[in-house]
Amino acid sequence: MGGVRLPSPRGAFRVWQRNATIFRKYWKTILLPNLFEPLLYLVALGLGLGAFIREGGINGLTYTQYIAPGLLASNAMFAASFESTFNTFIRLKIGRIYDAIVSTPVNAEDVVAGEYLWAGTRAALYGTAFLGVLTALGLVSEAPLISSPWALLIPPVLLVVGIMFSVMGTLFTSLISSIDFYAYYFTLVVTPLFLFSGIFFPIEDFPSPVPEIAWFTPLYHAVNVCRALATGPSLGVLVDIAWILVFTAALSLLPIRFMRKRLIS
Amino acid sequence: MEAGPRTGALSLNTQTEKRTGAGTGQTTLVARGLKKSYADFEAVKGVDFEVHRGECFGFLGPNGAGKTTTMKMIYAAAVPTSGELEVAGLDVRSAEREVKRRIGVVPQENNLDEDLKVKENLLVYGRYFDLPRKLVRQRAEELLEFVQLSDKAGAKVEQLSGGMKRRLLIARALINDPDLVVLDEPTTGLDPQARHLVWDKLRQLTGEGKTLILTTHYMDEAAQLCDRLCIMENGRIIAEDAPRALISEHVSPEVLEFRAAPEALEKLPSIVEDVADDVDRIGEALLVYTSDSEAVTRKVRESGVEVRNTLHRQASLEDVFLKLTGRRLVD
Ligand SMILES: Nc1ncnc2c1ncn2[C@@H]1O[C@H](COP(=O)(O)OP(=O)(O)OP(=O)(O)O)[C@@H](O)[C@H]1O
Ligand SMILES: [Mg+2]
Repeated sequence: MGGVRLPSPRGAFRVWQRNATIFRKYWKTILLPNLFEPLLYLVALGLGLGAFIREGGINGLTYTQYIAPGLLASNAMFAASFESTFNTFIRLKIGRIYDAIVSTPVNAEDVVAGEYLWAGTRAALYGTAFLGVLTALGLVSEAPLISSPWALLIPPVLLVVGIMFSVMGTLFTSLISSIDFYAYYFTLVVTPLFLFSGIFFPIEDFPSPVPEIAWFTPLYHAVNVCRALATGPSLGVLVDIAWILVFTAALSLLPIRFMRKRLIS
Repeated sequence: MEAGPRTGALSLNTQTEKRTGAGTGQTTLVARGLKKSYADFEAVKGVDFEVHRGECFGFLGPNGAGKTTTMKMIYAAAVPTSGELEVAGLDVRSAEREVKRRIGVVPQENNLDEDLKVKENLLVYGRYFDLPRKLVRQRAEELLEFVQLSDKAGAKVEQLSGGMKRRLLIARALINDPDLVVLDEPTTGLDPQARHLVWDKLRQLTGEGKTLILTTHYMDEAAQLCDRLCIMENGRIIAEDAPRALISEHVSPEVLEFRAAPEALEKLPSIVEDVADDVDRIGEALLVYTSDSEAVTRKVRESGVEVRNTLHRQASLEDVFLKLTGRRLVD
């Protein structure tokens, strides 16, 4: 059975729907920590560290203004990464949820595509809530954190960013046999991306080849897009968006192939 | 203790001929030269079988014989390495979705969705088949009633007992009103009441014209439910027929079970040699297959060997199973 089978949108939707059914029951109880986490960074770094950042801030933004949009992107990365690693692994190996699903007309490839969509949805939902908080905070402080109406496009961008990180997380999940391996993924992939994607300092000012390396990493582009939409974009954003779409599409079939092998012997 | 023939210990399926579906002769599942290898191990080494519409077809066999692997190939959870496999005229590999749409599956391992309540398990499962919401609701109610779990509709799956989970799995397998239901050890872990309940339900299903394929380690279950069955060993089918035919083909009609001290058991085979068709040593007992039980008992009595306990009964499927899957002492 060579070649990758393409998922059916209908099957993928059913898997998405299953997760949504469960999420609907407890979203209120888990929304708070998901909002709190990026807020902690915003307060600790934006106000704490920001106080030491010289007059004029970064690129004309106060430090809080600078990091807020980046935190929107990293929040999407974390949401989609947890979903496609721990949660997916539990459904795969512990709950055996997928085994039950693939004995219906929903195929293994639909399961993976449905999980991509779901992780993206979750990233967009959390992101929208956080965006709301940022906008509100901006209203009560002297400088708005979100200053452009283009910010309305941030939720759909976070959906795509979420899908991108879901593809990466699912790829890792499809390769590992024990849940303990995620320590590697988070330490070696997620955390470095979080720190070196231009959320907290402009990566472009580093000596070569740091900016060049950053250009090849996914969160860097997500941060660029979010910051541009929050402050008023330039055309350069299209390059970042194209990068995200190409990277996601190129990688997306690999986990489908590997997961099918794990589900269908 | 000398007992008369213990009839009824394994009552055979005598309704075979009367069943509505069993006689239609329409083939709904065909396997030809079906093989499955995992890495370097061949779990199914070329099996052929046909199942007819409305029939209950059973798979017996020791652990690791390849029963589950065969079931998984039927519902496309395992891809055959070679051979043909058709369900309702459709090739399982090329028409994967269409085949799965028509099949209900009770897997050997429970895989209920523990994040969902009992009834939600049925509702969400029904969505995987793209069934209209209203229809799924109605069927979910009926099926919970059918497996007597209506009062647990709102319970969490983890609050169900093992047997209740099995019943819920059976209900789930029926949510798409399948033509063919694949049941991998449907009653393992059930108490006698629950097993009888499940048997009744399964008979009801064949009565409705559904085709059942079932694996089991319970000989009485196979004898009760299956119109035809096969015995698998080491990835091959070593016998296939109706339960009664298997018994008459492979073992003598009567069995005497002698229990005695090991030294005494050693002596018995040669004593009964002339009048026994076959002799089996199973643990502490010696099983003597014969068509003349009186002659056997007489020989044993005359030999003076001290026998603690004798049981006289009709040959059963279990005898066929034990004989065919090895453990023979004398041929
Ligand atoms: N995914 C797998 N990878 C490798 N070997 C496997 C796999 N699944 C099953 N096997 C092997 O294939 C053989 C047949 O297994 P199968 O599960 O079909 O047996 P079974 O007849 O259902 O046994 P049981 O009565 O114990 O359920 C066994 O030797 C088993 O170890
Ligand atoms: Mg099995």
